[in-house]
Amino acid sequence: MTKVLLIEDDDGTAEEVVAELSGLGFDVERAANGIDGLAKARANDPDVMIVDRMLPGMDGLSVIETLRKDQVATPVLVLSALSAVDDRVRGLRSGGDDYLTKPFAVVELIARVEALLRRPVDSRETTLRVGTLELDLIKRTARRGDRSMDLLPREFRLLEYMMRRSDQLLTRAMLLEEVWNYKFVPATTNLVDVHMGRLRHKVDGPGEPQMIHNVRGSGFILRAQS
Amino acid sequence: MRQLQFMRSNTFRWTAAVSALFALFVIVLFGFIYWKIDTYLIARSDRMISVQMNYMAELPHDRRIHAIESHLAQDSRRVQFAGLFDPSGGRLAGNVESVPAGFALDGSVQAAKVVRMGAANDSGPTIRAVGRRLDHGDVLFIGRNVDETREISSVVGEALALGLVPALCLCLVAGAWLSLRAQRRVENVNQRVQRIVAGDLQERLPHDGVDDPFSRLAVIVNGMLDEMESMITALAGVGNDIAHDLRTPLTRARLALERGRTHATTLEQLQEVTDKAVAGIDQSLAIVTALLRLTEIENSRRSAGFGNVALHEILREICDVYEPIAEDKQIALGVDIDRKLHVWGDRDLLFEAVANLVDNAIKFTPPGGKVNLALLRGENASIVHVTDTGPGIGEQEREAVLRRFYRSDKMRHTPGVGLGLSLVAAIVKLHGFRLVVQPGPGGRFDIVCADRQSS
Repeated sequence: MTKVLLIEDDDGTAEEVVAELSGLGFDVERAANGIDGLAKARANDPDVMIVDRMLPGMDGLSVIETLRKDQVATPVLVLSALSAVDDRVRGLRSGGDDYLTKPFAVVELIARVEALLRRPVDSRETTLRVGTLELDLIKRTARRGDRSMDLLPREFRLLEYMMRRSDQLLTRAMLLEEVWNYKFVPATTNLVDVHMGRLRHKVDGPGEPQMIHNVRGSGFILRAQS
Repeated sequence: MRQLQFMRSNTFRWTAAVSALFALFVIVLFGFIYWKIDTYLIARSDRMISVQMNYMAELPHDRRIHAIESHLAQDSRRVQFAGLFDPSGGRLAGNVESVPAGFALDGSVQAAKVVRMGAANDSGPTIRAVGRRLDHGDVLFIGRNVDETREISSVVGEALALGLVPALCLCLVAGAWLSLRAQRRVENVNQRVQRIVAGDLQERLPHDGVDDPFSRLAVIVNGMLDEMESMITALAGVGNDIAHDLRTPLTRARLALERGRTHATTLEQLQEVTDKAVAGIDQSLAIVTALLRLTEIENSRRSAGFGNVALHEILREICDVYEPIAEDKQIALGVDIDRKLHVWGDRDLLFEAVANLVDNAIKFTPPGGKVNLALLRGENASIVHVTDTGPGIGEQEREAVLRRFYRSDKMRHTPGVGLGLSLVAAIVKLHGFRLVVQPGPGGRFDIVCADRQSS
């Protein structure tokens, strides 16, 4: 069972997150302050940690920095009411961890935890395969079965990201951050949908089973089988 | 208690210190004067007795006795001493019993202790005197009492007391008055400041229009208060706008939830109203997020994230992102990026600024229109030029569009948070660039990126 450690001082938020994650089959443990959180992180060796940034006793980023100094590489999702521009957070992100600004949708939190747990292995593969979908990273070509697809560079980038994380829910915010390198919320809210619509039009041809699925209100999943 | 507070005030302490210093100085001065006068008087009487000695010594023996007698007879102040003694020490004339023991008879003026003839006690005054042995063995002794100097010292002391004590008192009184006055003014200012702190922004500091430092300070502070009052009034206006823009979607959410709770009979209906409510709450949150972002940019003074930014790359990326959006709306997105121009700035923020401008342009341009993105080179500046064939911005609105939550009446029903241009303006300002809203037709925005001063 996947062990999750939640370090969050607000009882209301913690309760919701614990309920949601437990419902999904995670083994969730909660600490209400930084010092307790650090102790539990050391004792229980969780698979993933969700850490609030501002905590009584010891602030969230310090907890993470302390663990990293001890060579603990547990992936961390940082929650915060502050936005994500300062340098400490930038450093955190480049280390492979993630950051989520409060308030957040629960699906967003789950999607990011799943993404952290299933971090793509940095394979030397030059060809990505999901079902009948095939992406040649060297020749920059894409095929679905025997049908070759003509993708624009931005579509290629998007499909590559999705194939590396197939069967995972990818939220709009995740796609914006990772594919388009957006550090802010664009005013046009359907930005991702428009791009995805075009990609889907090319990937899921007429009569073919659907591979790119729209999860209502949350994001998109690329599935090998429907 | 308060009456005694002035004793502890700085002004008073300084006055006291200066008074003490002044008194010390005066005492030293008077001491010096006394010493000078004393030296002068002694030198003068020394000269006098030397002259007398010379005169007497020159006289013939019989006339000398007579001269001594008449010299002493004329001395009404009884300060003169004289004596003529035979070689065996017997007194021939004068008012001195004998030559003091150990007195050198070499004609030099010395201090000596003598006993006047007929004096009751043995201890006579200390005088200045000169003695000389004459040709046939007689000893002539002439002296003068210099006790006058003691009188002078008492006169000087009296003068000192008469002058110094009142002067000192005056100093202390002046110090006390000054510190009391300053204290009263500070107290007055204090009370008013407390009223201002309590929220009475109309209150001002008192000043009597005189050109003293205190009044000048009050005038400056009052100017600052004027500025703050107008700023707070403006902020209150923004607050009202925020409240309005936040309340609208929240009201929608509340109504939807209420209606769903009363009328929904199936799960689908309940889900539908919940979705509506969540959308309303999300819009409110988007406003809060944008406001926080705005504050964050406006408050960030750091340029740590600054570096050399390739404008042409940013523009190309934005084009890449927005092309499908424009196409969906049947708007032609044109780009004119021939040049490779670099500026000094934060890449992410500049991306955000240009993206916001393009986003706005696409939003406000009707289908069939055109949005153009160009990179130009101006005088010592690189210019990002965003134009569209939308309604454009009227002359009277050009200032207002940069204001928070401003949305042109024509655009009332276009979805948006109304902070986009404020964000662009804040980012541009952070970089020291300029955002120029050009006259129509259509919307025309320029971000004028001044070249970095090579320093």
